[in-house]
Amino acid sequence: MKKIILLSVMAAALPLLVGGCATPAHYIQTGGRESLVNVNQINIQDFIQAANDATSDLLASGALDKVANPPAVLAISRIVNNTGQQIDTDLLTKKIRVALLNSGKAQTTTTMGLGGTAEDPMAKGLQQENEFMNDQKTTRKPDFTLSGKIIQTIARAGSTRQATYSFQLSLTDARTGLAVWEGEKEITKQGARPAVGF
Amino acid sequence: MKTRILLPLAGAALLAVTGCHTSMNSIENAQKTGQRQMISDSRVITDGSLAKKVSFVGVNQSMTPGGFLKIQIELLNRKHSLQRFSYQFEWFDANGMQINNIVSPTVPDQIEGGESKFISSVAPTSACKDFRVKFIEN
Repeated sequence: MKKIILLSVMAAALPLLVGGCATPAHYIQTGGRESLVNVNQINIQDFIQAANDATSDLLASGALDKVANPPAVLAISRIVNNTGQQIDTDLLTKKIRVALLNSGKAQTTTTMGLGGTAEDPMAKGLQQENEFMNDQKTTRKPDFTLSGKIIQTIARAGSTRQATYSFQLSLTDARTGLAVWEGEKEITKQGARPAVGF
Repeated sequence: MKTRILLPLAGAALLAVTGCHTSMNSIENAQKTGQRQMISDSRVITDGSLAKKVSFVGVNQSMTPGGFLKIQIELLNRKHSLQRFSYQFEWFDANGMQINNIVSPTVPDQIEGGESKFISSVAPTSACKDFRVKFIEN
């Protein structure tokens, strides 16, 4: 009898033990305070912060206002990933593009890309067809190109680990080849490696 | 024997007291060339603890060459220890409608004991006329 009661209690307690500590899946604000922070990788809030800083700095500089026909046309050049992790640099550039488009100061070309590859091949095809039919160039050349680099610097002291991620961006005037705006945002994260575990 | 016990205890107590203690001295030009355009502000304090530690000194604004509103807030850490907080800027148009901003981060920040610090942001569009900044203790 005792055995049956004990087994019943254990069976009832088992789901509590297994599932009790687990946090049920829930939504959080992207980039908000509840977001997970990893020292050894770039988190989404880091991309948002870097993009925000770059956009604010670029808009405040007035560099995009110095074009003959506003809004300025922007082409995205190479963003070098010099970190130890595989990242999609669009996580940074897309946010900047959207923010600049919303600001009304710049538009990004999707028919012109690095190495002649278009981001939107269909738009490029239609544009070329249009030019052929009308027998005139309608493509507006970019006023500026945006290039950059993401660098990771690691430091360790005892069990403390530190990583600095540098987001470097340059806006180059396509006519002169001169960088008319440059920005750098550094994000440093520090944490201790757990004594037990991975 | 008593001394043997008391000495480490005194050392630990000293560490506990001074370990997190930070303070900051600063120097600046007395005759200011730049004139800050201070604006009147409206404050809603629901976290009295944070407000006691990190207070708002003032808010000033300017316009960028491109016609964007730029806001700068001066903060002061009234305590002698490092304080961590997060803040987020929100922007509103002339009709009081919030402007959606894809790059509106919750920025984690920190301020040393006794430090005066500025935080600033540029409006995402020229349509932004008003702002609100939210602060939360980390």
